[in-house]
Amino acid sequence: MPGIMGFYPFGEGRENWDASRFLYYGLTALQGRGEACTSIALIDNESKQISVYTKNTHVEEFYKLISGNKVRGYIGIGQVSPSEDDGLVEVEAPIRLVLAGDGKPGYEGERGEAFRRLAERLSTLLAEKKDPLDAATQLISEASVGFSFIALTENEEMICCRDHLGVKPLEVGAVGFDLGIVSSESSALDVVGATHSGQIQAGECVVFDPLSIRRRKHNGSSRRAYCAFEYVYLARADSYINDIPVYTVRERIGEVLAEEKSAEGDVVIGVPETALPFALSYSYKKSIPVKLGFMRTGRHVRSALKPTQLERLIGVQLKLNPIRAAVDGKDVVLIDDSVVRGNTLKNTVLNLRRRGAKRVHVRVGSPAIISHCPFGTEVPPVDELIGRALSEDEIAGIIGADSFSYLSIDGLVRAIGLPKHMLCLGCFTGEYPSKEEA
Amino acid sequence: MKILGVGSGAREHAIAKKLSESRYNPKIYWIGENRNPGILRICERSGGEFIQGSTTDPEFVGSTAKRLGVDFVFVGPEEPNFHGVPDRLETLKIPCIGANRSVALIEMSKAEMRRLQWEYDVPGKLLFQTFRSAEEAYTTLQRYSETLTWLQNVALKPARQAGGKGVKVVEDRQIYLHDEKQRFKSKHVGWLEGYMRGYGDIEDKILVEENVWGPEYTLQCFTDGKTVLGMPMVQDNKNAHEFDIGTETGGMGSISGPDMCLPFLTMSEYDESLRIVEKMVSAIQDKTGKRYHGVVAGQMMLTEIEGPTIIEMYSRLGDPEALNVLHTLKNDLVDVCLAIIDEKLSSINLEFEKKAVVVKAVAPKGYPDNRRLATGHPVEVDEAKIVEGGCELFWASCDLKEDGRIISAGSRLVEILASGETLPEASARIEKVISAVRLADGWGLFHRSDIGSEELLKRRAELAERVRRLYLYRLEKGTVGKRVDWLPGVGKVDPVKMLREGLRR
Repeated sequence: MPGIMGFYPFGEGRENWDASRFLYYGLTALQGRGEACTSIALIDNESKQISVYTKNTHVEEFYKLISGNKVRGYIGIGQVSPSEDDGLVEVEAPIRLVLAGDGKPGYEGERGEAFRRLAERLSTLLAEKKDPLDAATQLISEASVGFSFIALTENEEMICCRDHLGVKPLEVGAVGFDLGIVSSESSALDVVGATHSGQIQAGECVVFDPLSIRRRKHNGSSRRAYCAFEYVYLARADSYINDIPVYTVRERIGEVLAEEKSAEGDVVIGVPETALPFALSYSYKKSIPVKLGFMRTGRHVRSALKPTQLERLIGVQLKLNPIRAAVDGKDVVLIDDSVVRGNTLKNTVLNLRRRGAKRVHVRVGSPAIISHCPFGTEVPPVDELIGRALSEDEIAGIIGADSFSYLSIDGLVRAIGLPKHMLCLGCFTGEYPSKEEA
Repeated sequence: MKILGVGSGAREHAIAKKLSESRYNPKIYWIGENRNPGILRICERSGGEFIQGSTTDPEFVGSTAKRLGVDFVFVGPEEPNFHGVPDRLETLKIPCIGANRSVALIEMSKAEMRRLQWEYDVPGKLLFQTFRSAEEAYTTLQRYSETLTWLQNVALKPARQAGGKGVKVVEDRQIYLHDEKQRFKSKHVGWLEGYMRGYGDIEDKILVEENVWGPEYTLQCFTDGKTVLGMPMVQDNKNAHEFDIGTETGGMGSISGPDMCLPFLTMSEYDESLRIVEKMVSAIQDKTGKRYHGVVAGQMMLTEIEGPTIIEMYSRLGDPEALNVLHTLKNDLVDVCLAIIDEKLSSINLEFEKKAVVVKAVAPKGYPDNRRLATGHPVEVDEAKIVEGGCELFWASCDLKEDGRIISAGSRLVEILASGETLPEASARIEKVISAVRLADGWGLFHRSDIGSEELLKRRAELAERVRRLYLYRLEKGTVGKRVDWLPGVGKVDPVKMLREGLRR
């Protein structure tokens, strides 16, 4: 679930733009999707050569590390990933290209390996076909579903594609009469001052070259498989994904929780940051006051993205120091976004109790995660997934809560507001979309 | 009856077609720089003639009109107006539909247009400042904290109408990208200075205007100097590429209808816009003492500060906007022209069919910034396919050679029009036939598939609604047009007052 971004200037004076500045702020905005590895590629203003930089660190540190290099270029792409050594994929021949990818294409191997195969195939097709749009269309029609990518070629083409079912998002923005920007999320467009002007559709290929933008849509069925987890957790609340505001979905999730899994209490507390909108609308719907329950220590991290259990716990404990005055002597409705193994939640409940919470009712703004994600979102092995093994009552017992409930799958679908056949709910159901449905 | 037209783009093809359909059965004569195959055919069929030659040479146009003994001349593009073609015809006592050089100043000098608007207090204004050198502009723009906020978010324009070229919008709202934007601004004012060296007919070189946001539209009107008659609103799409990305062009396609108003604008916005255009016509006539005979258009935007706001004025029909309105015009265009000539336009009741109309331009790669690349390619058009698909073809920047080959001339190649009940329906019809246009040497073409699409219309409507809410709120609070700034160390300043004082000096 990396975040990807492309920067492409047009017109008179296009070589004057410094793509790396825009990528810096855009990728910072996308960092919620991963920050273990940052990678950018730039086409140099004079030599027209592509340079690639990759470091196993977050964006800010990455830029400090590479600033010794003469990092400049007027066209660029970038990627932030939750996994180390998961940078941009490079192919040298027949056509040199660099590729940023979200999700995972159905080629063999791990994410990086699968994208490498995709990139090699793209390079071959680009050499075979005269028109890069033909090459991209051919690639997308051959490939499986579950990914989107932005590729930059030695011929100054930027090729952006989404799979036939649109599992992973790709949004487009514009700045004045000059810049085109493509990004996993619209929030990154806002941050660099671009106007969000549309999205790349499922199965669509868009080719930027110095003289044009051309696109070709896939004329398939109305079947889509937009990743539902984007709305629950992955995307920022200020993003639009597939033309749907993420914030609104998260508010509706809180409402649906209040309707279908109602719990009473003196105070509603949301686990920062993702579950805060759930808690706000749950509170409003139930007329139970919402309070700030936790203070953060150190810079913002997404705890679920940390690679080891120890790091995750450190992350959560630093992130979630309970505010005693908000919970002491109170019955607490605690709202979280998702539960994977349950360990971090167990810790949080324990901490609330020690700060004086009487009853703790846990409500989760997504259904139980019971299965892996074939499209690159990291989910632990199935035998670690608490929601696959245990009932809600059993989980309540283990994490030490008075009650525990997930959002239902239908409730999630209702909150997103799209029909089921337009969503991928694979991690909640174990049923995955396939290309044949497109 | 004999009519002589001037200009050789798709707009002129559409004008020629409409004139040729008149009940007066006129012979159509035409002067164009390129031999436009569409206009050529209309001239031949009507028993007239196409004359290849300069459209901006008043002597040539005048003597040709005299030699042919035409009843009147219809000037299509703006440059003949700027060069005084209508003035020459007036001297020769040949009636002309075309703004004379004096009144066409509202288009030729974007700076003079803005001064006139402020002087006559016509609503829909923008803050502006003009510069005679890049140095001057740069010094003003490079200050940040001590400069007026509007100067941070600006449109940088050549002070003269220059074929829609050279306009850059720089919104400098993210302090963290300030250095980037600043560098870009200074490079562009330098470029503008160089570009304007090619035009000796105006003192101002660079125009800096406050940047505004909102839906844009064009309101085209006929005028005889006494009456201004509005046509349906049209929205052109200026960005070269899909998703509203890329360089400013003359226009990549336009939408209109089914009503007088665009679907995302209101009739009161239409009326207000028409009032603004009327006032501009009165102002320029008052200022110059000259009569305005022809077409005047406001290229406008609905903005939060002023509501309907002038971005630029046209002294002619827009291209491609002309195609939209002429397609649905029910009146005989010759009747309208005669009424303008006799200054009896008030007796004309302009009528338009209720139809959604979409026009899309197809351009060779290289347009608009690198026209050399876009020039000289052999053009092939399957006209039958376009007609069978329920669309209409208008030839634009194409040159029909003596040997029958058609060669691209660097600008938009052709424009394709479709109409229907809804805009998306018309847009989809054009998409089906767009492959009928190609370059025989394999050089690439591009067009905008998104014009008139459901998706784009939805975004335009959302944008219009957001702006309208703010504008109506200002209207209610009585703060339309008011701006105020805080300059640390200086205090509260009123940029409108400053501008007015500057103009008085």
